[in-house]
Amino acid sequence: MVIQAPPSPVTLHADVEEVLLDADTIAARVAELGTQLSADYEGRNPVLLSVLKGALVFLADLMRTMDVPSSIDLMELSSYGSGTETSGQVRILKDLSHSIEGRDVVIVEDIIDTGLTLNYLMRYLAERHPTSVRVCCLLDKPARRLAEIEIDYRGFTIPDRFVVGYGLDYDERYRNLPYIGVLKPSVYSAAPAD
Amino acid sequence: MDNSPHILGIDGMQVSREGYDRGSVASVLTSDAPPRFAHDSEAELARILDFYGIEWRYEPDVFPISWSADGAVVESFAPDFYLPQIDLYLELTTLKQSLVRRKNRKLRWMRQLYPEVRVKLFYARDFRALMHKYRRLDFLTDVTAANGANGTGNGHSSAA
Repeated sequence: MVIQAPPSPVTLHADVEEVLLDADTIAARVAELGTQLSADYEGRNPVLLSVLKGALVFLADLMRTMDVPSSIDLMELSSYGSGTETSGQVRILKDLSHSIEGRDVVIVEDIIDTGLTLNYLMRYLAERHPTSVRVCCLLDKPARRLAEIEIDYRGFTIPDRFVVGYGLDYDERYRNLPYIGVLKPSVYSAAPAD
Repeated sequence: MDNSPHILGIDGMQVSREGYDRGSVASVLTSDAPPRFAHDSEAELARILDFYGIEWRYEPDVFPISWSADGAVVESFAPDFYLPQIDLYLELTTLKQSLVRRKNRKLRWMRQLYPEVRVKLFYARDFRALMHKYRRLDFLTDVTAANGANGTGNGHSSAA
């Protein structure tokens, strides 16, 4: 008989005011999504496509809960207000590594907020003639949705809070937190302008 | 008296709801000249929409929401943006809090009168959150000063 040690208490980061989703809750839901995807994509070898960088942790965990063959691809898009943007339009900083023509694509996203990035991505992918494109997101934050997105696989619907951790950042910080927490407003309100 | 809802086209002529084609109205409004925005936040939202390739029209339609006994329009609602690809009207409220209550009321009436029209009110806190997300902190001072509350949002570099 294996006696498991009790889970060690989570140390809350000083910049986080509360844990919205703890690591166990996330892991359990990710496993459910993986099971669902495995059933839906049996024999179809889907491409799991993520947009860098926030979805990396979710993608890594999700793909390990799937028991059907799949491949992964990564894209990176310039973000509005990034300070490096001069064209006034989204730029593809890293394109698809392989053709998706005739493939079943699952976009694996960390969070869907306004839907603008995903709306752009869906239009971009449609021009590459995949057989199908579905969306799997860990967090759905519908409060400020501008572009409606059909979400096929949804981890959690969350309130309008500023969340970090499990891959999600603020100014490239907090991605390594094992949980999803609510950032203290004092952190982002006090941030200096670029 | 005809009390059925009407929408005022760009030329002010009333057209019946059944005969109204938002697509054709929007195409008429397409212009190379940028519109004169009432507020900087509207111009910023237009830039964000442009960035992500979302078509928009600025104040293309006026929706009457109340009429006098003789049928004259006494109150109307003109949402700030229409996004034809998404078929969504968008109203930004980043000014005085007293205006928010008025706009909320107008929105309620509009949704009753035009249930098939999708319209979303973007509150000051939503705009602030968007500015935090895109790290456009220079806009926050202006908006926060006008509204007074703190904001929420997400600043993830890849947030969708």
